Amino acid sequence: MPGTERHTEENLLPNSFGFRYSTNPHVEEEKWERRRLCRSFMKLFAKGAPAQEPARPQILVGSIPASVLASAQAVGLSGENCLFSIRSDMDLRGRPCEVWLVVGHDRMAAFTADRLEVRVLSGPFEWRKASKVRNYQTVGSMFLQLRLDEMYVDVVRFSNGFRESFGRAVVQLQRLLKGEPLNPDALKAPSETRCNVCGLPLPGLRASCPRCAKRRGIFSRTLTLMQPYWLSIFALLSMMLLGVMLDLIPPQLTRYLVDHVLKPESADMLAGNSNGGFQGFLERMVLGSASWTRGDRMGILVVILACLVAASAIRQGVNIFIGRVSSLIGTRITKELRERLHRHLLHLSVDYYNRHSAGNLMSRVLYDVDYFQGFVHQVAHGFLLNLLLVLGIGTVLFFMNTRLAVVVLLPIPFVMVGTTFFWRHIYPRYYRLWDSQSKMAQLLTGFLQGIRLVKAFSQEERERARFSSSAGYMQQARRSVEMSMATFNPIMGFVFGLGGLLIWWAGGEKVLRGLSGEEGGITLGTLMAFFGYMGMFYGPISQLTMFSNWVTGFLSAGQRVFEVLDSSQMLPEEPRPVRLSAMKGAIELRNVTFGYDPYHPILKNVSLTIEPGRFVGIVGKSGSGKTTLVNVICRFYDVQQGSVLLDGVDVRKIATEDLHRHIGLVLQEPFLFRASIAENIAYGRPDAPPSAIMDAAKAANAHDFIARRPNGYDMKLGENGSGLSGGERQRISIARALLCDPRILILDEATSSVDTESELEIQKALMNLCKGRTTLAIAHRLSTLKNADRIFVMDDGRIVEEGTHEELLAREGIYSKLVRIQTELSRLEGGHDG
Amino acid sequence: MMADAQQRTSVPFPGDETLRQTGYRRLTPDNTRIFEGSFSLLHCHVEGGGLYRGVRAVLMFPISHPDRYISLRYTDERDQDQEIGVIEDLLVFPEAVRQAVRESLVRQYYERVIHRIHSIECNYGLLFFDVTTGQGRERFVMQWRHDRAEDYGETGKVLLDSLDNRYIIPDVEKLPAADRRVFVNYIYW
Ligand SMILES: Nc1ncnc2c1ncn2[C@@H]1O[C@H](COP(=O)(O)OP(=O)(O)OP(=O)(O)O)[C@@H](O)[C@H]1O
Ligand SMILES: [Mg+2]
Repeated sequence: MPGTERHTEENLLPNSFGFRYSTNPHVEEEKWERRRLCRSFMKLFAKGAPAQEPARPQILVGSIPASVLASAQAVGLSGENCLFSIRSDMDLRGRPCEVWLVVGHDRMAAFTADRLEVRVLSGPFEWRKASKVRNYQTVGSMFLQLRLDEMYVDVVRFSNGFRESFGRAVVQLQRLLKGEPLNPDALKAPSETRCNVCGLPLPGLRASCPRCAKRRGIFSRTLTLMQPYWLSIFALLSMMLLGVMLDLIPPQLTRYLVDHVLKPESADMLAGNSNGGFQGFLERMVLGSASWTRGDRMGILVVILACLVAASAIRQGVNIFIGRVSSLIGTRITKELRERLHRHLLHLSVDYYNRHSAGNLMSRVLYDVDYFQGFVHQVAHGFLLNLLLVLGIGTVLFFMNTRLAVVVLLPIPFVMVGTTFFWRHIYPRYYRLWDSQSKMAQLLTGFLQGIRLVKAFSQEERERARFSSSAGYMQQARRSVEMSMATFNPIMGFVFGLGGLLIWWAGGEKVLRGLSGEEGGITLGTLMAFFGYMGMFYGPISQLTMFSNWVTGFLSAGQRVFEVLDSSQMLPEEPRPVRLSAMKGAIELRNVTFGYDPYHPILKNVSLTIEPGRFVGIVGKSGSGKTTLVNVICRFYDVQQGSVLLDGVDVRKIATEDLHRHIGLVLQEPFLFRASIAENIAYGRPDAPPSAIMDAAKAANAHDFIARRPNGYDMKLGENGSGLSGGERQRISIARALLCDPRILILDEATSSVDTESELEIQKALMNLCKGRTTLAIAHRLSTLKNADRIFVMDDGRIVEEGTHEELLAREGIYSKLVRIQTELSRLEGGHDG
Repeated sequence: MMADAQQRTSVPFPGDETLRQTGYRRLTPDNTRIFEGSFSLLHCHVEGGGLYRGVRAVLMFPISHPDRYISLRYTDERDQDQEIGVIEDLLVFPEAVRQAVRESLVRQYYERVIHRIHSIECNYGLLFFDVTTGQGRERFVMQWRHDRAEDYGETGKVLLDSLDNRYIIPDVEKLPAADRRVFVNYIYW
């Protein structure tokens, strides 16, 4: 069979299925779905497999070990009546072993195949008799369970890595239980959690494989960031080259000075045996320094000094240029990167923010980005410059005297060792330092926001202790970095100093030799030049060592910045979205299943239809999924199964800005920005005229309390609306939603903190405003929903009742019970008052 | 924090008795009979509460009190998870019961404990771990992201690999020094 090898290979992946089925036409008790199965499988066979003999099971995908098959036959799961099988990686106690679940037409059983003997792990179960089948998540693993005899029985256990294949299997088992046919394609679909090429787990469902997509390293990505500035960078680099050359000149000049100018004059010169005039000067220049007069020497000294001054001046000019240009590029890149981060953060899904703390994200945008400026700085006059200097000076040294140059290089192995040591032992300490800073930022934001809670529970002492421990961690992290640096740097300094002493020793000996005219000697000027270059040589080398220090910080900062930029937790965008310029406001949910964790559904198969212009209420216990329902209607999250339709269009296909323009949302916890009241109301429509703002406020029953403030609508609000009461904040957020004139208005507990009287007022206003717009009101206070056209009652992620207030009362279900309890409560309250 | 909590339980607080009246149901050998029933599932009979079948045990403080405060739960006919009550101290129950409850806990938790870290490689924003766990030498891949390595108690870490499997280091400080250094190189938060 041509496909067999491939199938065995697939078998190595944990999400492999083994299918078996028979096409024996003589089997009498063939069930109807089996016939359906045949038909759908026929197509598959037609492609790859040769014509099959009757009564011989065909393996479609994956394979079961023969020994397991034999055991399966022993419990009545023979080839003919097997539907499919799935592999798992553990037994019910969580011990690792190879387990196969074999599902037949009416029974299923799990077998272990690891040991020499094959054992039945669980079952066989008469699974057709089960009322339900489900995957049950426990901590770190899952169970496939059958509801038999009014309780869930564990059939097989698997680690989270196998969730996908068992998730698909359960869907099929549920279909079969409902009498629907098996859909083998759904079982065989390529994995969405692993790369189908290399098997690497994907960072998200259907995300691109990081290995196959060849994500580049932090450095090369940073260089890409600099691409738009290549011209300036080219200028920077050539300036730098010029600078290095300028740096090489002064020691050569001093060498000349020492060897030829600052030396005793020869005897005939002292005797005044020289021609005067310019002609004579030129002649002496050609003849060599031995013939120079003092006057000549003074002149040359001045010329050389002038050259030194010029070299130094040009060098500093180059430095000014480099500094300015690199700062220009650096600040631009960091600005662009910050904007990019912020833009990316704006587009990330709500889910991302559930998983990352604000303090952590804040420090990335604020501090980590600065490292990228450092990168430009390094390019301009850090790493590259030092490298060029080292290379340039090294070459010159070798030209001047090879043996002496070798001595200069002696300390370099120590520098290498030092650098390695640095990477191994000092490098990780920087990570902790950063972490301590970010933890402290998180602690402080939490503390500053929750200051009232701290005071209310009089936990100042504990907060003090917590802060002190965080400050201690920071101190310890910084101390650890600085202590090690304080030891490391002087030791490296000593090594370099030793290098200088070596030159005195080796060079001094050579100078003495030179003075006595021996072979291999050098002049004093050469030695001086050596010292001049060495001062410039070890500096860059130690800088290069420190470079690793900088790289460390840069790499960790880069990791954190690119981590945000790479996070693909964005809702997929339709390539050609549907534009809805006008919306009627019809809402429909079709068999929606959704969970914040895909394997733990919150909304379970919810279907509902809301006609345009209706006022609909949603009630239910806390945690029953009301806000979650709103979240999927607004498409803060994508549903896992089913679809949400607005005006008959799937929300995933609607252009995001249209979607949000037509939906007005008042959240359970109103959020107000640090701005004036007017700006907050006009948040969704910044160009709204003051009259419209006031009308909206009036409708939300907010106008009067705003009017009483000295600054009226211009009153500045503090962080998250501090300075207003909870109910006032809610009313402002209602006004904000109303001002945008949305077709769909969603009020999630929007009036829960408002007194009954104001609520009545808002209700009246809403009644007027809601004409012609679809309103979805979530409320715990049922009295607010009396006039609703329709009320949906949610319980545990399902719609359990629906109808008008009267209908639901008559039904005597959950709703009527809730109403009874609430009237009871208000009677109690009333009795209290009276 | 933990010492804090223990202190609080040891000092009697006047309100505690009042709270207890409306608190969780305490399961003790006096009011509860726990046994293994059909399909070798845990069954539980509570005085005045009836018989519960297909019961699962869940730890309420899996890190700070791993052998106390065990909640017994079942799935009701509407598929909702319900609590029967809480066993505060398993040791007061007879051995057979302790065995059965522990067996149920074994099914509830699946976490591999890391004893050694041989190497961590960082590639494509992923960390490739080579470790020794209670089950032997293993390799796994996790995303190098802050939300994939969470605190476990005061000094430990839980690593969630790319497939959401849980790997636990109960105490990072107790890893061999070289392993710890490799670990905090990457998981430094
Ligand atoms: N971001 C989230 N991540 C994971 N689970 C969540 C998240 N938000 C809510 N949940 C869970 O989803 C369930 C439904 O929550 P939801 O907010 O929809 O309830 P609700 O009906 O609005 O309750 P309430 O009346 O208290 O506002 C709850 O069990 C909750 O714990
Ligand atoms: Mg809610």
